[in-house]
Amino acid sequence: MLNAIGRNSNMKSIASQVAVSLVWAGLLLAGANATAQAAPTDNPQTAVLPLTTKSPQARRLVEKALKLYLDQVEQAKAIEILRKAVKIDPDFAMGHELLAQISLESGEQVSEQEKAFATRSHATQPEQTLIEWYQDAGDAKLIPAITKMNDVLSQYPHDKTVVWMTTWWLMMQTQYERSIAIYERSGITDSPGLMNNMGYNYAGIRQFDKAFALMDKYVAAMPHDPNPQDSYAEILRMAGHFDQSVEHYRAALAIDPEFYSSQFGVADTYSLMGDQVRARKEYEIGFQRFSIPQQHWILWKSREAATFVRAGDLAGADKTFQAIADFAHSDHLSQVEADTYRQMAMYQPDSKQAVALLDKADTALQEGKNAMKAAILEESAQVLRLRVELAVKAGNQELAKSTATRLADLSDSSDDKLVETAYHGAEGSVLFAAGKYDDAISHLEEDVNNPLSLKLLAQAYQKIGYSAGVKRIDETLSNLNDPTLEQALIVPAFRKCYEDPACNGSLNAGTPKLRHTL
Amino acid sequence: MAAQAKQLAIIADKTNNTSNISAADLIKIFSTHNHTWPDGKTIRIVMRDPSSADMQLVLRKLLNMTPEQARTFIQIHRDVILIADSDDAVLRFVSTSPGAIGVVDLYSLTKDVNVVKIDGKLPVEQGYLLRGN
Repeated sequence: MLNAIGRNSNMKSIASQVAVSLVWAGLLLAGANATAQAAPTDNPQTAVLPLTTKSPQARRLVEKALKLYLDQVEQAKAIEILRKAVKIDPDFAMGHELLAQISLESGEQVSEQEKAFATRSHATQPEQTLIEWYQDAGDAKLIPAITKMNDVLSQYPHDKTVVWMTTWWLMMQTQYERSIAIYERSGITDSPGLMNNMGYNYAGIRQFDKAFALMDKYVAAMPHDPNPQDSYAEILRMAGHFDQSVEHYRAALAIDPEFYSSQFGVADTYSLMGDQVRARKEYEIGFQRFSIPQQHWILWKSREAATFVRAGDLAGADKTFQAIADFAHSDHLSQVEADTYRQMAMYQPDSKQAVALLDKADTALQEGKNAMKAAILEESAQVLRLRVELAVKAGNQELAKSTATRLADLSDSSDDKLVETAYHGAEGSVLFAAGKYDDAISHLEEDVNNPLSLKLLAQAYQKIGYSAGVKRIDETLSNLNDPTLEQALIVPAFRKCYEDPACNGSLNAGTPKLRHTL
Repeated sequence: MAAQAKQLAIIADKTNNTSNISAADLIKIFSTHNHTWPDGKTIRIVMRDPSSADMQLVLRKLLNMTPEQARTFIQIHRDVILIADSDDAVLRFVSTSPGAIGVVDLYSLTKDVNVVKIDGKLPVEQGYLLRGN
């Protein structure tokens, strides 16, 4: 299981110390330590992020929680301890921030971030900057978030907590290589939590040999803990080694039968292998056996619903997704409710029904409860993006264009990366439908984590005769092993055609005929 | 794996009053046709090695050159164009050199420099010049 966080002094300039050396062509400015724009009074090699609180007991608890989380990958226990710490000192800003980041409940993430921001004046300047970085990220203000992240990192490049928060946030921004570079420069080699997260970073850029090497190290560091086996299993699955993946999930459950994430991991893997009946059986075992946090219940219930889509049983999918939407509605989880209706809209054969579901999604978003502003914004963008796809599918270019313009306006009003990629995917789709393949490509290339955009991108490359591009996207799509609905709607059908030379749907020959895709 | 689109930021030192520049003027600066800022300060350009992945966008959109052509060009104009071995070195030079202008990846930005808009757009906005593969 990914060691997840929610989503999300006196300083003297050392610029004068920058070494300048003549190398090639002209001057080559030799870099010292990366990101070191300024150093705190303390030596940045050993500087540790302060944890300011009036209560020594609360500080000890937060230190214990961080140790549990980063060294023992015990998220649930760490959350409980952080809750105790902020109860003892309600003005403990970093306590609130850490709880906001590792909580598994949407409402708590939002309220704790608010408390962290509200109480930051009780903390030191670096703590305040860190809290403001996450606040900016939550408010979809990307550039201020980046500069604050780099400010904190430059002061504490070897602090385990800062390195973890930075590398995690960058991974969420799909900045895998930058995240890896920060980890490697940190010199921290003894943190199982960081090993775990870095394994996923390497997997993110499909450097599976390095990811597996880290996983071997992680397993060796914690041989009696289930999470290393669980993470190893997930990364094996990302690489397409399904049988080995199930073996590692089973190994995790053998170590700790209560490690529910591995039970659901087995289910996810069977679903990707194409055995939906077995997958559902494994999901049900998980739901019946374990009491799991809200976010995890929603996640795996959605995955279970996707098994019906993979099997072509849309009524089954509707029933399961609707149960999630009802739960989200009753708990006022606006973004979750909207996201669920959006997912339902994705596979509807009747476009009117799909639009009605998107209307429900918008209604939920208008309520806007228990979600960060950025999460609401991002979901709104995803809804608009799907509206564009539906309009394109219906041949209504005018509606598609006007909706894409609304999405462009939304993107212009924020600097949220997900909103922006949603816009590019939508605009690429509109331009592709209009036969403007070069223009479509420039947009679709900005949305390469979305299977639908990837498929269109390959087709656009094909239209302009860019065979190397087609081949690259073919390989990316056919190796995409992510148990999401987007993957379910695109990849299996694509893979079938890709592996069948006679299939007219191969990208080398034409467009895949996908049963349930948009 | 499909490549993620790059976003590059144009940066200037904190004392530079230019917050926005047209694409045409930026091209003039990078092609060394424009040597001074409106306040009279001498422009010095700092960028990464032209063969680095990040600089492909700069070569294509600002210089219209191949990496080999760019190397020769930079050699000729080495009094104006500096090559740095990392984004951090670019940031350090720009932040401490009035009149300097540099190019870095969006995610390298620090508070020590100003981000200069191109045609009124920041790197995170639609239609920004220095983004893409």
